[in-house]
Amino acid sequence: MTITDPSPETDVPTNPSGPSGEPGPVQQGSTAGTDHKVIGTLFIAASLAFLVVGGALAVIMRAQVAAPDQAIVGDSTYRQLFTMHGVTMVFLFLLPLWLGLVTAMVPLQIGATRMAFPRVHALSLWLFLGGAAMVAGAPLASDVIGGWTLSTPLPDGPGFTGEGVDLLILGLIVVAVAAITVAINVLATVLQLRAPGLTMARIPLFSWSATVSSAVLLLALPVLVAALVLLFVDRHYGGHVFNGFTGSRGGNPLLWPRMFWFAAYPMLWALLLPALGAVSDIVPVFARRRLFSHQRAVAAIAAIGVLSFAGWGSEVGSLRRARPLFALGVLLVLLPVASLILNWLATAAKAARTDARVKERMRSVPMLHVLGTVTLLAVGLAGQLVAGLDAGGDSHRNYWGIATQHTLFFGAATTGAVAAIYFWAPKLWGRHLSEKIGKLQFAALVGGMHLAFLPMFVLGIQDMGAHTSRYVEDGNLGPANLIASVGGAIVVLGVLLLILNLLVSVVAGRGEAAGADPWGGHTLEWSTTSPPPADNFRHLPEVRSETPLLDLDHPETTP
Amino acid sequence: MTAVTAADRTETTPATAGVAPLALPSGVKPTPALVLPDRTRALGTYLFMVADAMVLAAIIAAYFAVKDGSSAWPPVDVGVGTYIPFIVTITLTMAAASAQWAVNAMRNNDQRNVGIALLFAAFLGLAAANAEWAAFDKAGFGVGDHAYGTFYFVFFGYHLLHLVAGVVLLLLLGGRSLAGHFTASHHDPLRSGVLYFQYTNAVWYTVALVLFVFSRVHG
Repeated sequence: MTITDPSPETDVPTNPSGPSGEPGPVQQGSTAGTDHKVIGTLFIAASLAFLVVGGALAVIMRAQVAAPDQAIVGDSTYRQLFTMHGVTMVFLFLLPLWLGLVTAMVPLQIGATRMAFPRVHALSLWLFLGGAAMVAGAPLASDVIGGWTLSTPLPDGPGFTGEGVDLLILGLIVVAVAAITVAINVLATVLQLRAPGLTMARIPLFSWSATVSSAVLLLALPVLVAALVLLFVDRHYGGHVFNGFTGSRGGNPLLWPRMFWFAAYPMLWALLLPALGAVSDIVPVFARRRLFSHQRAVAAIAAIGVLSFAGWGSEVGSLRRARPLFALGVLLVLLPVASLILNWLATAAKAARTDARVKERMRSVPMLHVLGTVTLLAVGLAGQLVAGLDAGGDSHRNYWGIATQHTLFFGAATTGAVAAIYFWAPKLWGRHLSEKIGKLQFAALVGGMHLAFLPMFVLGIQDMGAHTSRYVEDGNLGPANLIASVGGAIVVLGVLLLILNLLVSVVAGRGEAAGADPWGGHTLEWSTTSPPPADNFRHLPEVRSETPLLDLDHPETTP
Repeated sequence: MTAVTAADRTETTPATAGVAPLALPSGVKPTPALVLPDRTRALGTYLFMVADAMVLAAIIAAYFAVKDGSSAWPPVDVGVGTYIPFIVTITLTMAAASAQWAVNAMRNNDQRNVGIALLFAAFLGLAAANAEWAAFDKAGFGVGDHAYGTFYFVFFGYHLLHLVAGVVLLLLLGGRSLAGHFTASHHDPLRSGVLYFQYTNAVWYTVALVLFVFSRVHG
C-alpha cells in the first residue's frame, strides 16, 4: 500500500477538465476542449485502440507462419496484413502514443499552465483521428499491399493500385501533418513557457527528449509529406516522379525509397526518444537520488536526435556505394543510447550501495518496465550492431531486420512508454494503476516480446525472407516460427491486460487515489494536485536545479 | 503498492504532498501569467516555416534527382518562357514591400496606412496568383506529359496554395486592423501574418530559381 497521507484537497480527485475549485487566473485556453491533459489522454486512448488492431493483425500473420505449409490466409491477404500491421503500428500506435504522452506531461513538467497553442493542439487531435480513419478504412476500399514503406517493389508497381491506396496516402499525409503541428506546439511550449528559473539545461529529461524528438519530427515528417504528395500526383494526375524509367520524360523509380527512409528512419528514433527520456526521469525518482550525470543524459539524447539522420540509407538497397557511410551512421547512434543505459545503471547501482530499501522499490511496476526496456534496448542494440556491420545488406531483407526493428522501435519504445503510463497515471488521472494486474501485464508484455522477437533473430540467421507467407517443411524454420507466434499472442495478452488495468483503475475509478506526489518525485509536475487543475498550478516552487522538488527537501545537495 | 513507504516519505520528502507546503516563504512564485510571451506566436510561425520549407526542400531534392537522370531537361520540345515568371516576381516583390509597409505603419500607429498597405499587398498577391494561373494555361504541356511538367505543376501549385492562404491572411488582418485590434505596441498577429506572407514570397523566388534558372544548367 502506498502511504502518502493525502491532504484533504488531494484525496478527492478533481476533474481535470472541470472547474478547479478556487478562483484562478484567467482560464484562457484551458477549457475542456483545449486542456492539454484531456487531449493527451485522448491521443493515448486512440493509440491503445490501434495497438489492439495492429496486434490482432500480427496474430493472424503469426498464425499463418506458425508452422510450415499452412493455408490460413493466402499470399495476397498476407501482404495486406503486413502492410496494415506496419502502417497501423508506426503511424496509428507509436506516433499518437508519443503525441499523447508528450503533450499531456511536458507542460506539467516545465511548470507551464498549458500548451503554447491550445487550439492548434485540439486541431491536431481531430486531424489525427480523421487521418487515422482514412488509413484504417483504406483496405475496405481496395487491396492495399506493399508494406508499410509503400514500396514493394515500386510505389507505382503492379498490385499497388486502387482507391484504397489513395486513401492510405491521403490519410498518412493528414496524420503526418497532425504530428508536425504537435511538434511545433511542443517546441514553442518548451522554448517559451518554462517556469522562472527552469533553464533549458534544467528541464526534465522527458521534456528534453520530447523537445529533441519534436525537432527531429519537424525536419523529417515534412519530407514524408512531400514524398506522399508527389506519389499522389503520380498516381492520380499521371505525374512522372517515381514511375517510368529514367529518360527525357520519365521519373526516377529509385527515388521513392530514398525519400521514404530519409523521413522514416529518423522518425523511428524520434518515437523511441520519449521512452528513453521517461526512463531517465523514472530511474532517479525510484533510486531516491539525482541521475548519475544529468549533463551526459542531456548530451546523449541530443546526440541520438542528430545521429538519427545519419543511418537512413542503410535501408535503401540502391545506395550500394554509400553503404559504408550509412553503416557508420547506424552504428554511431548506438553509442549515445548505450551511454544513457549506463547512466541509468550507474544511478541504480549507487542507490543500491547506499540504500537497503532500493531493491524493494525496484520491484514496483514502473521500475519493472524500466528493467524490461533496458533488456529490450540491449537486444535491439546488438541487432542494430550486426545490421550496421552487415555490408551485404542481407540482414535488412530477412527476419534479422524484422527482429531488430521490433525489439528496438516497438519493444523498447512501447515498454518505456508503458513505464511512463504507470509512473504518471496517478498524476494525470488521480488514480494508481493496479499493481497486481500491472505485474501480470509486465510479465506478459515483456516476456512475450522476448519470446516473440528472439526467435526472429534465429530466423534471420536461417535467412527466412522478411515477407515470407509460407515455407516448406525441410527448411527447419518451424520451431523458431512457432515460438515467435506463441510470443506474439502473449504480447497481445499483455496489451489487453494494460487496457484492462486502465479501465478498472482509472475509468471505473477503482484504483487507489493518488496524492500530489506519490513517488517522491523530483520535477515540477509533482508539486501540483493529482489530477492537476485545468490551469495546472496554483504555486510553483523556486527552481534552482533540474530537480526542484528534491532541492526543497535537501537544499544542501543542490548543485 | 510498494513504491513508497511511510519511512521513505518521512526521510526524504517530508513536505511535498499537496499544494500548500510548496509555498515556502523563499520559494513562493505566483503562477506565470497566462498571456503568451510576446514572441511565442512569431516562434510558432517560424517553426511552421521550417516544416514547410522542408516540404519544399524535399520536392526540390526530388526534382534534381530526376533531372540528373534525364537526357534532356527540360525535354527538347518544351520551351520555358520567362515572361510570366518575370511578371510574377515583380508583382510579388511589390506585394512584399506593401506588406512590410503595413508593419512599419503599425509601429507608428498609423491605422489608415496599415489598411491601405494590406489591401494593396492583397491586391498584388491576387494579381500574381492570376498570372500564375495564366502560366498553367499557357504552359503547352500537362502534368502527365513528362517529369518536368509534373514538377512544374507541383511547384506552381505549391506556391499558389501558399499565396492564396497568404492573401486571405492579409485580408483577415486588414479587417482586424480596421476593427482596432492592433496598437503600436501590440500587433503580434500582424507581424506573424506578414512574416508568413514574406515567406511565401521566398518560396516563389526559390521555385523560380529551380524551374527557370537551374533547369538550364546541366551538371
